[in-house]
Amino acid sequence: MVLARIEGNVVATRKHPSFEGWRLLICQPINLKGEPDGTPQVAIDAQGAGLHQRVIISSDGAATRAAVGDPKSPARWMVVGLVDELGTGAPA
Amino acid sequence: MRLGTVIGRVTLSKSVEGLRGARWLVVSPFTREHFTAASKAPVVSKEPSVVVYDDLGGGVGQTIGFIEGREAAMPFDQPTPIDAIDAALVDNIFYSPFK
Repeated sequence: MVLARIEGNVVATRKHPSFEGWRLLICQPINLKGEPDGTPQVAIDAQGAGLHQRVIISSDGAATRAAVGDPKSPARWMVVGLVDELGTGAPA
Repeated sequence: MRLGTVIGRVTLSKSVEGLRGARWLVVSPFTREHFTAASKAPVVSKEPSVVVYDDLGGGVGQTIGFIEGREAAMPFDQPTPIDAIDAALVDNIFYSPFK
């Protein structure tokens, strides 16, 4: 799972049928300071994440397949939580 | 799923049984810079290009969303040696970078 920030969404008419009706969000992985860290991933979202909101995305395909309800879906990344507060600091 | 630009196609003369008749695209993955519409970043990014299985009919120059890893083989009935699949032909990207 990685911390990410929502930076937009993708529209696709022709897609795997399991993505029908799902929001496809552009999730930019971020570091603890909130700076971009790596290439953006497109994830499905059932939590209702808003633009520029921080989220946690998971690459667990089994959980994502269960969420879309299609055991033959290739879906992988999914928004699993919306970040409320983020504590920073080096371990003691 | 990552986004990328289709920069080529591959055809195979001989292949593993499960891959007969498949369509393959060479895809250059987007970096963060490629999401901006007015991006001056070269089409072929510095990310290594990927060969992607395609059953949606993607063409050279198009932007697609592709999925990598074990999940890419999930749509197949038989065990198939595929680890990247075209999952969406992108029509539109709405992108608003933070800061």
